[in-house]
Amino acid sequence: MPITYDVIRQAACDLYGWSLKKVPDDTLDALAAARLTETNPTSQRTLDFMQAAARAAESEDRHACSDAGFPTYFVKIGTKLTLDGDIRRAFVDGFAELVDTIQPPILKFITHPLTMERSYKGKDMPIVSFDVIDGADYMEITCSPKALGSGRWADLKIFSYPKIAEIEAYFMECVLAAGSQHCPPVIIGMGIGGSFDHAAKMAKQATLRKIGSKHADPMIAEMEERLLVAVNKTGFGPMGTGGDTTALAVHVDYAHGHGFVPVAVCFNCWINRRTAVRIDNDGKVTRLE
Amino acid sequence: MNSAETEPLRLTLPLSVDVARSLKVGDMVLLDGEVTVTAGFVTHERMIAALAKGEPLPIDLRGQAFFHMGSNCREENGKWLPNYVNPTTSTRFNAFMPTLIRELGLTSVGGKGGMGAECVAALKEMGCVYFSMPGGASPLLSNGAEERLETGWDDLIEQFRLSRYRLNGFGPVTVAIDAHGNSLYEDLQQAAVSRLPDILKELEATRLASSTNSTR
Repeated sequence: MPITYDVIRQAACDLYGWSLKKVPDDTLDALAAARLTETNPTSQRTLDFMQAAARAAESEDRHACSDAGFPTYFVKIGTKLTLDGDIRRAFVDGFAELVDTIQPPILKFITHPLTMERSYKGKDMPIVSFDVIDGADYMEITCSPKALGSGRWADLKIFSYPKIAEIEAYFMECVLAAGSQHCPPVIIGMGIGGSFDHAAKMAKQATLRKIGSKHADPMIAEMEERLLVAVNKTGFGPMGTGGDTTALAVHVDYAHGHGFVPVAVCFNCWINRRTAVRIDNDGKVTRLE
Repeated sequence: MNSAETEPLRLTLPLSVDVARSLKVGDMVLLDGEVTVTAGFVTHERMIAALAKGEPLPIDLRGQAFFHMGSNCREENGKWLPNYVNPTTSTRFNAFMPTLIRELGLTSVGGKGGMGAECVAALKEMGCVYFSMPGGASPLLSNGAEERLETGWDDLIEQFRLSRYRLNGFGPVTVAIDAHGNSLYEDLQQAAVSRLPDILKELEATRLASSTNSTR
């Protein structure tokens, strides 16, 4: 039995809705851990407020943030599954269904990049990227709505034969440029290498990794660890009003390329919106988070 | 500065200039009273254009509180009750705010992320404070927004209209820029910049000591 348009449309709708009203469990754990080590009294209070607000969003079925952003979906398709129907269309229609049905309503955030006109629809919206899982008979869909507050501080630079020190200095430059602006404590993603577009995709996907997970390559895992310490020494703190907790995690990924080295850095705000499902070939949907 | 244990100050909007000047960076405050909000760039452009032509704004903002917030309401029994309110990024409006603060004599502004140096100068000159609100904590923050009293420029989408709200225990919000030219954001930015050389040295030392000993 194939995975149908209807199943994917419903999943696209549900994922976006869930992500607006639930802060991921790993993020709540990280906020609680940060509260234990935070020394700034104002920041302690802010972290308490954030955790209580996240709990209220879930238990009272309310939006965590007024900015619903726009949905981005990462889809991994098993090579042994079968599909039936317009799959790209299913995401467009699922997003439209969410807009029509969610209560309370979301605001108009889909913005034409040149005219700044706002609506609920738009070219290439939602943004969906597809990848494959060799040998699998299921698909996984992750939804991560992107809002303005943290979205606008992402950056990318092309280096030629950089030393690691240069890459890490650039990373810190991005952290200082974002400063207090991106609703910290943030999750920071960095993609190193590949092509211009692939570096950006790696950075974004790195933010989706669970907090507490380590990169499989020890060299990258150590980089993540030392950069997290470095970011938290800047002192911007929760909501950027000072403190020890500017980032909850730094996640790095890399790809081989060709001498020129793109480096991309991006940020997820503290509510770190992220939901995922697995859809088996018989149409069974399992919520992963 | 309040500690995590002390109760926040409770103040009514609009603030008088005297009350605004009595607040210090780091003070935590719960707000009552009335505030006008918008999240719109086009709204700010329109406000500036109206002031330049000497035209009145649809909601009188002289001496009032003006926050950068998005909001959504439902109508129940003739009242507009907030579904949610939440701050938006104030630096988006850096180009407009010095004029608005000066010409309207605002006594409090708010949003998230702070405002630029020219805005800080205008706040100091006029006796106006900047409140930082927690972004993404909408369920709790919204509990302090009691009712939407009126809107102006209704041709704009909901979050871009000028909307006047009555607050009741809104916050706590943090005084992040006071009316004496002190900005938590500027202080923190300068502190981070001055720490950067040491942070980079420490990164290098950690790299050299690492198990993978990446020397590139």
